[in-house]
Amino acid sequence: MTRSRLPLLIVAIIAIAALIVPPLLPWTHSAIDWDAVRAPLFAPGHLFGTDTVGRDLLARTLVGTRVTLAVALAAALVALVIGTVWGAIAGWYGGKVDEAMMRLVDGLYALPFMFVVILLMVVFGRSIILVFIGIGAVEWLTMARVVRGQVIALKERPFVIAAEAAGAPSSRILTGHILPNVAGVALAYLLLTVPQVVMVESFLSFLGLGVQEPLTSLGILVKEGADDMDLQPHALLIPGGVLVLIIICLTIAGERLRDRLSR
Amino acid sequence: MSIYAVDGLDVRIDGKVVVEDVHFTVEAGQCVALVGESGSGKSQSCLAPFGLSPGIASGSALFGETELIGMSASTLRHLRGRDVGFVFQHPLTALTPHLTIGIQLSEAWQRGGAPAPSRGDMITALERVGLDEPDNRLDQFPHRLSGGQRQRALIAMAIAHKPKLLIADEPTSALDASLRTEIMLLLDSLRREDGLALLLVSHDLAAVAGHADQLVMLRDGQVEESGPADRLLATPQSAYGRDLVAATPKLTDPPPNLPETGARLMAAENIHVSFPRPGWRRERLRAVADASLTLHEGEALALVGGSGSGKSTLARAIARLGPKDAGLVRWRGETLPERKHMSRRHRSLIQPVFQDPTASLDPQWRVSDIIAEPLRHLRPDLAEPARAGLVRQVLQEVDLPDDFANRFPRELSGGQAQRVAIARALVSEPEMLLLDEATSALDVLVAGRVLDLLERLQHERNLALLFITHDLAVAKRLCHRIAVMEAGEIIEEGSTQQIIAAPTHPVTQKLIAASRA
Repeated sequence: MTRSRLPLLIVAIIAIAALIVPPLLPWTHSAIDWDAVRAPLFAPGHLFGTDTVGRDLLARTLVGTRVTLAVALAAALVALVIGTVWGAIAGWYGGKVDEAMMRLVDGLYALPFMFVVILLMVVFGRSIILVFIGIGAVEWLTMARVVRGQVIALKERPFVIAAEAAGAPSSRILTGHILPNVAGVALAYLLLTVPQVVMVESFLSFLGLGVQEPLTSLGILVKEGADDMDLQPHALLIPGGVLVLIIICLTIAGERLRDRLSR
Repeated sequence: MSIYAVDGLDVRIDGKVVVEDVHFTVEAGQCVALVGESGSGKSQSCLAPFGLSPGIASGSALFGETELIGMSASTLRHLRGRDVGFVFQHPLTALTPHLTIGIQLSEAWQRGGAPAPSRGDMITALERVGLDEPDNRLDQFPHRLSGGQRQRALIAMAIAHKPKLLIADEPTSALDASLRTEIMLLLDSLRREDGLALLLVSHDLAAVAGHADQLVMLRDGQVEESGPADRLLATPQSAYGRDLVAATPKLTDPPPNLPETGARLMAAENIHVSFPRPGWRRERLRAVADASLTLHEGEALALVGGSGSGKSTLARAIARLGPKDAGLVRWRGETLPERKHMSRRHRSLIQPVFQDPTASLDPQWRVSDIIAEPLRHLRPDLAEPARAGLVRQVLQEVDLPDDFANRFPRELSGGQAQRVAIARALVSEPEMLLLDEATSALDVLVAGRVLDLLERLQHERNLALLFITHDLAVAKRLCHRIAVMEAGEIIEEGSTQQIIAAPTHPVTQKLIAASRA
């Protein structure tokens, strides 16, 4: 039991720290300490040191984690909602509806999605909302396929046919029998989507297309750290480590959940 | 000198004893069958000494003069490859899907260190197990073969390295009745010709009767009774053995006391059903062609046929639970509306019960909600307390205690789950039940009790039954009439006595011969 919960526990600790610790720190993520530019690790007042312009790295890492996780969670939820609705409708109605809906998904899959997100950023300007929408709109495709497959498998199950014989209307069968039984698998894929979105967000931020300065994210911190890594390697390793930890833990938790449910 | 002798065998899984003090011997050319219900330890007793199960065996298992217990895994593997062959229940999962039959057979051939077989050798081997067109089969992939052909191919692989002992774990359970007999006859001839010893595992007494020389009856991991098959089947000594033999329906049972039938209830006329063929071509696959059936009040009609003969498709089309291309269903003269337009009243006329009891219950619903579901939709006039009352009443009727109402399906055994499914079907007071292989997934004793329940309901409720089955002996127990299906058509129909005594169509004759064996 403890072994299977460890990954989620780590992510929870990181998330809670990112939420409650920043207000307690003497420095905010954007305040500049003119007396301590490029402070090393464990410098007085700056546990993780400061960056090239003297901003506290502990505060920036925590705020960056918060932004990254918020973007990831929101985008994954967007993916969950669109993907589940789309996949459930396609799988349930089948035939031509299914064919049309899933070919559209195939088409969108074929687009180089990073390129599309970048294009959106360029056309509409950088905003955190756009990062949500852009990523969520791409990540729902996998969810739609997974949910559709599940719905098709469930649709032929005897208990669904028995519900039809019991006079339950389609809407009741979908909400009462099909969706509750898809929920577990959808949740597992939600957990797997979050780390993917974390990756995408960080990558966009690394390219300078993510959130706007002075607000920060793990991707921006990794980029800034990488620019300065010969002088201050910890400025790269700390946000990078947090990023890797989040991705690995969520992936492990998601895969475990998926394996347990698909048995 | 026996080929394989087991004495005082215990098997433990995670410290729990699942087999205790089992003993039997298998002579050359002889067939010993281990029979018992699921969970009785019959597979474990067979597989554990050979290191093919997670169970840990202790006691003695002598193969020739070699003691298997305590042997190292690699020596065991060597011995399995050289002297023992295995055949398992599911012929598709036992074959590797991406390798041709020829490649897999050649691999099996070389398992014991023999040189690679020539194509001619392999063709002879496939011919020997009765596989038609052996030359083509060698280049085919497993999915191209039917269930019976796959099982033949597996047997060819199991005996390719000329083993002394063949272990067959439920080799025919996944096949329908006439194929079952053919495979058993094939195993018989291999025993005669090669002096092969056969250790058979089966839950079905009827399937091994006439083939096994010795029976070992297991219950909860212990030997309940053993001895020569003929004697044990005719005069079982233990109470459990008597129950098991009595619960196995036989064609020779005396005709049952069936309820009187009334006026014509349902008439299905010229039903056609086809499915789109998967893939790009716009072809359709014919499933049911021009099938007509009638059913009277209180009458039970058995729909029998091999797997894939269209029994379930036809029944679902009649109950408006599946697709239909053409045809009418009349209910007391009134035409039933199409699937999408069935009203509450129409839906409450016919209720289904399916084969797999656990898959028929939504795993996330409680038993009380599952049973109340038809009431909620078909009888919206009922208030919550009245609904709960009816649920309690129907639970009693299927012999389940009240407190089952709060359970989830995973907390039920197969027989209990099937009773819940029957209760759900009964609660809206239908006039006809559609029973789709409702007892075939259950153990013999449990199935016997479910059949008793159905028999009682038939008398008490004057229910009409459409009973789909592949087993004529089961059909005989409950049904007034039998309709036989083959390749989507009804090929023969008549009273139960008449069909069993004087079948006219060759397919029916084959089915009856299979059930007699």
